[in-house]
Amino acid sequence: MEPDYEEDDDHVYINEETELGRENVVISHAPRARIVPPLNFCPVERYLYRSGQPSTVNFPFLLDLKLKTIIWLANEEPQDALLEFCDAHAIQLQFATINPDGGEDDNPWDGLTEHSIISALRTIVNVESYPLLVCCGMGRHRTGTVIGCLRRIMGWNLASVSEEYRRFTGSRGGRILVELLIEAFDTQLVEIDRAKAPQWLLTAV
Amino acid sequence: MVYIPPLNFAPVVSTEVSLYRSGYPMPLNYAFIADQLHLRTIIYVGDKELSEDYNEFLTQHNIQYHFVHMNSCRDKNVQEQMDKVLRLIVDRANYPILIHSNKGKHRVGVVVGIIRKLLQGWSTTGIYQEYDIFSGGLKGQVDLEFITMFDTELIVRRDHLPDFVKWER
Repeated sequence: MEPDYEEDDDHVYINEETELGRENVVISHAPRARIVPPLNFCPVERYLYRSGQPSTVNFPFLLDLKLKTIIWLANEEPQDALLEFCDAHAIQLQFATINPDGGEDDNPWDGLTEHSIISALRTIVNVESYPLLVCCGMGRHRTGTVIGCLRRIMGWNLASVSEEYRRFTGSRGGRILVELLIEAFDTQLVEIDRAKAPQWLLTAV
Repeated sequence: MVYIPPLNFAPVVSTEVSLYRSGYPMPLNYAFIADQLHLRTIIYVGDKELSEDYNEFLTQHNIQYHFVHMNSCRDKNVQEQMDKVLRLIVDRANYPILIHSNKGKHRVGVVVGIIRKLLQGWSTTGIYQEYDIFSGGLKGQVDLEFITMFDTELIVRRDHLPDFVKWER
């Protein structure tokens, strides 16, 4: 399909703005300022991203994403630098603790509780939180759990959900516990308000 | 309805425009592609002839199909082929785009790596890490070296550029 702008190629007089737009640019080498994605960074859906904990070196990269919300999946606070970064750029930092009742017995190997999965997903199904980054320490298991449950809501078959999860788990591979959590997750527990849901979610459910 | 995305499927860019990557789409993936991606363009970097099933699917959904023949980045004409791919990527009229190879690991990994470097300015480590995630930890030294050394000279119209492309005067 030919785009519309080809049609007015014959017009000699065009306004300045259009003329500027028609300028040619040369693409030849990488931009001088390089940006560094966080560990395990990947887009998930439109304006939805996943990664490990961003550090200072990743901040210019994050600025390009124009984030409105970051979901942090851990009991402990992220590094101070990240807190300050969110503060400075008016990014909502949402904690979805692994196990709020765990107290001292809590450890990072525990899977996410249903409660925290639902709390993260409630933010994800609301377009008002976008652009949105979901992250945890390494961007592997906790982030993988939440994204896996989102894929289930979207109607993905289980093998494909697992394939995606394992891709981000590094050399030690996936955890059965995480895959069981994703499989057992009751997708009905996340209420979707059609008026506030992202477009890609509406076409999927 | 159960949706089955193609092997190694993921978005590469998910902003105003959508660019996706994957392995070779099979008939069981067609419902997913048709219902969820609403593609305008598919770019295949690979060596296989178009199958009858696939051709029918593309016609039915009015998807522009571009076959860019490539065995690996060691091909003699790889620069020319890569430029062909890039010209399609830097034209916003072609989106949404799916770019696929056979397994979505090496050939697509190289294309994505070059997009990350040339058009987005990603650091080399970020590019290597992403390549690893999708190749299942296979190192692919030749591919990574190719990405690192790649440059080109494409003259393109600025008003055709998708939003994610960074360019310098």
